[in-house]
Amino acid sequence: MSDVLLEVDTIHTFIGQFHILEGVSLKVRTGSITALLGRNGAGKTTTLRSIMGLNPPRSGSIRLAGEPINGRPAYEIAQLGVGYVPEHRAIFRDLTVEENLRLAERKRGDLAKRSDFIMSLFPDLKRFYRHPGGKLSGGQQQMLAIARALVADNRLLLIDEPSEGLAPIIVEQIVAALRQMAAETTILLVEQNFAMAAQLADEYYILDDGRSVQHGRMADLVHDHATIDKYLGAG
Amino acid sequence: MIEWIQRRRGLIAGIIAAILFAMWASSQYEPRVLASILLSGLTLGALYFLVTSGLSLIFGLMDVLNFAHGTLFMIGAYIGFTLYANPRLLLNTLPFVLAFVAGWLLARWLPFSSLPAGHRRPLWVVAVLVGVFAVWGFELAPLATTALSSGGRVPTEQAQAPVGLFIARTLGLAIAGLIAGAAFIIGSEHARRPANRDLAWPIGLLALALIIAPLRLSAEGWILALDSNTRFLLALVAGAGGGAALGGLMEWSLIRPLYSRPIYQVLVTLGLVFVGTELVKGIWGPGGYFMELPAWFSRRGPSCPSPNLIAWLQDNCASIDVLGRPFPSYRIFIIALGIAMFIGIAVLLRYTRLGMIIRAGVQDGEMVQALGINVRRVFTLVFALGAGLAALGGVAAAPFLGISPGLGQEFQLQAFIAVVIGGMGSFTGAAIGALLVGLARAFGDQIVLTGIQLPWMSEAMTFSPSIARASTVLIMALVLLLRPAGLFGKKE
Ligand SMILES: Nc1ncnc2c1ncn2[C@@H]1O[C@H](COP(=O)(O)OP(=O)(O)O)[C@@H](O)[C@H]1O
Ligand SMILES: [Mg+2]
Repeated sequence: MSDVLLEVDTIHTFIGQFHILEGVSLKVRTGSITALLGRNGAGKTTTLRSIMGLNPPRSGSIRLAGEPINGRPAYEIAQLGVGYVPEHRAIFRDLTVEENLRLAERKRGDLAKRSDFIMSLFPDLKRFYRHPGGKLSGGQQQMLAIARALVADNRLLLIDEPSEGLAPIIVEQIVAALRQMAAETTILLVEQNFAMAAQLADEYYILDDGRSVQHGRMADLVHDHATIDKYLGAG
Repeated sequence: MIEWIQRRRGLIAGIIAAILFAMWASSQYEPRVLASILLSGLTLGALYFLVTSGLSLIFGLMDVLNFAHGTLFMIGAYIGFTLYANPRLLLNTLPFVLAFVAGWLLARWLPFSSLPAGHRRPLWVVAVLVGVFAVWGFELAPLATTALSSGGRVPTEQAQAPVGLFIARTLGLAIAGLIAGAAFIIGSEHARRPANRDLAWPIGLLALALIIAPLRLSAEGWILALDSNTRFLLALVAGAGGGAALGGLMEWSLIRPLYSRPIYQVLVTLGLVFVGTELVKGIWGPGGYFMELPAWFSRRGPSCPSPNLIAWLQDNCASIDVLGRPFPSYRIFIIALGIAMFIGIAVLLRYTRLGMIIRAGVQDGEMVQALGINVRRVFTLVFALGAGLAALGGVAAAPFLGISPGLGQEFQLQAFIAVVIGGMGSFTGAAIGALLVGLARAFGDQIVLTGIQLPWMSEAMTFSPSIARASTVLIMALVLLLRPAGLFGKKE
């Protein structure tokens, strides 16, 4: 199917000798926001890292626009147009905001081209343009991490828990930004904040204990309290 | 305010210690003695810096503790010295290396690079056999001997092989390189993907090798006829370049396959210390050499020592007057070289994209990869850069300390101490650490020479020479007590 941008098919991923993902499958449609849900430790981060090539799966397949990408090094996967916003942001603390963004350029002039869009989403970044990333607040760091994935021409963004540890007002800003971004790219979003995921996503996948257990339309999940309690409840 | 003091207590303690030490030192020594101790310390510090900067960058970026860094320093000294004093050794071996590399690169055009991977092992064997056959009977020792060696110097006409044989060997090594390159490629990424095949490199290298072959004798005369200053500059470039090439090769061949097994990496670098030392002994012999100072730093005469730096530019005296005491001008050059390299690397780190990638990679290499940057290639580059700096230091140290197979060991140890003092992975830390260690050594040497006299003592307290070496370890222990991560290290 041509409108599937990313297809993950029963991947098994190991970290050291631990079998972390035991068969995760999902499809992300071009132009959609797909939420990847599940309890702490379900394997969401590991799934994103597997797609990105940071924890390559031992078996199963990953296709981007039909082309197999598993087994390729992370930098090649990124060059195919995959942007990564990791858990805990991974801002380069000693580099300025500008340098953090410049580093994400894949061709000369990427940043110049996208700068206006990025600054309109996150005006704070303009104010602190020449400050080291480590001096930013948590919310600003999150914005920078997202902005960094917008510098190059990415067709797929993997975003891991963007609301983690942020005040509600900042979360609102980020939701607004993600919504604007979704008009242009495709997003696979990991989120623990269910309300936020429900606002944004078109479709969802639920992981439990390293397996994909359920998927469907987000609009349906919102009313399915049994599923929410079973897989997303605390603990 | 109080919080600020608490946060900076290490810095404040350091400044207070420095002031107290300066007060003590200025009461103890006359200004001119103090000046020459300081300059000696700076000289050593500059040399240490050339070793520590690479050591620290490599550790910061790729978590590799390179025990062989001092060995690269030593090999740099040998390469530079060879170009400076005995270029025939290089002229008679370099074409082999060039031809091998040219063959290796040429392998991408071969039809059999698309053979199945099963042919790999037999091809390796053939490559080794061809290589051994090509150099069978080649004699290195007569080429390596100099007037200083025990065997005495063999005239070049006798020491070097005739042109025909030499060209045959060169071509043989090109073929060995070709087969080895093919063995490396088959079944790998390179064979499958359309490589960016540029014929200019292999053909250029092979042509260069073949051009050198008939010109070896005249090229030797030509190099030796250059004035010593030019030869010295060439030696610096050759040593640094050779060291960088060796470092890059080392990362690519031995370190890179072991990133998932850090202990093995450390063991490999440790092993390379012995391999390198033995290799150097095998080529140049176990004895030491003395590298003569180039003319810029060796004039003697009625107008010497030069009254100041400006005058030295004119008269090139071997020493310069510092507050009434002569100080060797070559050591001032070493200090200047260290400062120039410090500025050069600082500019590279701060203002170039490569520098940005390095700074980011020191913190989080994985994230740099995820942005689409091939960090592995940067690793090789930085390894080569660090090795090149160390080798440059080796060439610079050669006229000052002499050259011997043990040269690397001592620098390795002091460089480790300096890096630990400065904080692993910090460039500024590496510079400060090197400076501190250099100064400590210089003061230590002075104390050993004259002892310490405090006001209430009737005669000077004397120390054994090992105190000079112990002093750096003492500083390290003190720093680690105050700041376990080193002066500029990140707490983690
Ligand atoms: N480096 C690691 N070593 C061992 N186990 C790990 C490692 N990283 C993650 N895990 C385990 O893998 C499982 C999935 O982790 P993760 O993908 O981070 O979950 P999530 O993002 O859904 O919270 C957890 O049980 C976690 O303990
Ligand atoms: Mg997670």
